[in-house]
Amino acid sequence: MGTTRMDRRFFLKTAGAAAGSAATVQVGCLTYFKKGRSASADRREVPTTCELCPNKCSAIAVVEGGLVKKLNPNPENPKSRDMLCARGNAAIKQVYDPDRLKQPMIRVGARGEGKWKPVSWDEAFDFAAKKLAEVKAKYGPEGTLWSSTEGFQEVFFKNLGLAFGSPNLVRHPTLCLASVNLAYSATFGTVPSFDLLNSRYVIMSGANRFESIITPDTMDLIGGVMERKAKLIYLDPRFTVTASKADEWYPVKPGTDLAFILAMIHVIIAENRHSKEFVAAYTTGFDQLVEHVKQYTPEWAERETEIPARDIIRIAREFSDAAPRSLYYAGRRSSWYQNDFQMRRAQAILNAIVGNWDQLGGMVPNAKLPKGEFLFMPWDEPKAPRVDEIDKHFPLAAKGDGVYLKLRENVLSGKPYPVKAWMVYKQDPMNAMPDQAKTLKMIEGMDFIAVIDVQMSDMAWYADVVFPESVYLERTDPVEVMPGIWPAVVYRQQVVKPIHDTKPNLEIVQGLAKRLGLSDYFDFTIEQWVDAEFKELPIPLAAEHMKKHGVWAASGQPSYGKTLTPDHRFVTKTGKIEIFSERLQEAGYDPLPVYSAPKQPPENRFRLILGRVGYFTHANQSNNVWLNEFMKENDLWINPKPAARMNIKDGSYVTVTSSVGAVKLRARVTEEIRPDCVFMLHGFGKKSKMQSLVYNVGASDAVLLETAWDQVSGNAAFHETFVNVATA
Amino acid sequence: MQNTTKLLAMLLALSVSLAAQGGSDTKGKFFFKKSCKACHAAGGSAKEITPLSKTQAQWKAYFAAGKHKKGAEKLDGVVKPEQIKDIQTFLTNHASDSPQPETCGG
Repeated sequence: MGTTRMDRRFFLKTAGAAAGSAATVQVGCLTYFKKGRSASADRREVPTTCELCPNKCSAIAVVEGGLVKKLNPNPENPKSRDMLCARGNAAIKQVYDPDRLKQPMIRVGARGEGKWKPVSWDEAFDFAAKKLAEVKAKYGPEGTLWSSTEGFQEVFFKNLGLAFGSPNLVRHPTLCLASVNLAYSATFGTVPSFDLLNSRYVIMSGANRFESIITPDTMDLIGGVMERKAKLIYLDPRFTVTASKADEWYPVKPGTDLAFILAMIHVIIAENRHSKEFVAAYTTGFDQLVEHVKQYTPEWAERETEIPARDIIRIAREFSDAAPRSLYYAGRRSSWYQNDFQMRRAQAILNAIVGNWDQLGGMVPNAKLPKGEFLFMPWDEPKAPRVDEIDKHFPLAAKGDGVYLKLRENVLSGKPYPVKAWMVYKQDPMNAMPDQAKTLKMIEGMDFIAVIDVQMSDMAWYADVVFPESVYLERTDPVEVMPGIWPAVVYRQQVVKPIHDTKPNLEIVQGLAKRLGLSDYFDFTIEQWVDAEFKELPIPLAAEHMKKHGVWAASGQPSYGKTLTPDHRFVTKTGKIEIFSERLQEAGYDPLPVYSAPKQPPENRFRLILGRVGYFTHANQSNNVWLNEFMKENDLWINPKPAARMNIKDGSYVTVTSSVGAVKLRARVTEEIRPDCVFMLHGFGKKSKMQSLVYNVGASDAVLLETAWDQVSGNAAFHETFVNVATA
Repeated sequence: MQNTTKLLAMLLALSVSLAAQGGSDTKGKFFFKKSCKACHAAGGSAKEITPLSKTQAQWKAYFAAGKHKKGAEKLDGVVKPEQIKDIQTFLTNHASDSPQPETCGG
């Protein structure tokens, strides 16, 4: 044995001794560093609420010398469970990002050319108001489109659009989770939470919860399902981190999850394993389901899904044995296939028949907490119908959200009427919508485009005027109730003053409203708005509490079974959980989920599938310097078999082509994806030069994705595009 | 074809029912909170009422009767007559059997 063995004890002993001797000479150095992070007189800790993704986790900002030095998790929020993820931590770099928008700007070159003139707020407001008035005079208020994504200050932007008289507000849900929301709403009258902390048996279809973080689900998957050795069954064409932690991973044939679920229902009913008492007491339409699923045998499902029939049978048995502490997890971004609504409906029905509703370890209707509401002056309802014709084509979809892709089709065609101004808040339709070329065409057709954002997104890059919003650490926002098994009320308060010439959205809206003659509707301050909300929080000294703690969580204890009483009325047409849905039937849809086999890619073509990682959710996060360090360029996952056939080497550049666009990016040759699929991450290949870290780096999925949507909800179907891949 | 006919019939029914109400959802919410919620709130002087307290048909019947305090007084004596239509629209649109798919934020 010629080598010296270093065990842990020996290492600690020697390291300690070395540190001791070094300490004498390092004192000056330590003092120097201490200066920068000492508990100096101006050190403050400010509780607030994160805005880097929709989770709204509670954070405590540490401020020293007027700078945000650190963000810590806030243990008082039961939803974020004393966790702040990589994205949350990187919010500091949103404040001090050299790329961020620092003052209002008006375009002086051609759209997309990137020539801008910095202007005063007055100039920017006057310019936008004049353009909006021109469009209104020519096309009516309905000739303006107001696009936004969820956020605490989104309400002001939406209200400006409505007060202006436009029916055309369009929000993000039909680019994200509209199908899952509509499916669970249609079945239970609400979208429940999933009690992963206490479940014994969990099935997930493509919900990559270990990487695509949802609070508290991601933490409960670790602290609940993993800790207690509960079983996790995972279906995904890709071997994700969630697949690596699951007990069983099935690389399901894409788009066939519905067949798997229907076959599970078939087995459970055929073997009399459903909860008879629950079905009788709380549901309607079970008899129709019995007849309906007879055709969906496990052997049939094996041919569709490539999951062995014996496994489907076993999983169905284990699932029903573990009930009510078993659940088929709904997932969040459900913009996958054109049958997405029916796939989620089948999940909901499967959950219902084993009686896991409102049970420990099952699905739980969200508890809510009360808060006050600022009563603003109401306006007249917009007179024109919506341009996306939602009533005609998607009668059951959420009217207030609109249907994005149908809307784009109609705006492009000019039917039923022209839309010529586009106002955008906190959204990047250039990357959020499929088929970027079509979005560019829509942009070309606009007489006027204004964008309110914290950074120069690709959408802002093509705007006529950009209004720089203060980032969340520089703002006080409305109070928000976070419903859930562990509900909380969260508050976002200003941590540092804006470091550039930016404004919170409310003040931007007020600046526009003043010039549009709509000031009366926005005659309040954020403080007045927030005070009205604090007033009805049932805690003493609510305002003081929220400012000091940033969150209020009642008892923090979940309660189960509140809806399991004979007189409980579900918010559905019948007042019961609707297995068979008359409302769907009346609207011309299948009242029970009917399977039809999805198209599969022809030889030598691939299905493009999407997903997220723990450090990027939205397209704007790849330009955050801390997050960008995790991944500087996106690549294309491709299986070694087709890669070898096409002579594609790991790390080499490939050209990916769909019917609507082509991109070039590096190949990642990996066994971790099915041979008939390719995968890429979202948020690269930016057109905006003010996204300097990702400008022209990697590729944008939006360039390749074709326009397709779920038939019932109108939710975008992002996994329906087939692509060619070739060496570049 | 059958589905299209059904859809058209449903849309017709929907537009007729909306026309019958003819009020403003936004204004209705405002007047409901301003007038009704002054008493009918949790911990208020009267029983808490939300749109979910009744079905669409029950709200229709309630406003057709036009009575308040279990018939002790007329509804238009408590709420301004011009606001009643808006309040009815708001309550009916969000009744316990109305289709109200949940959204994300906002």
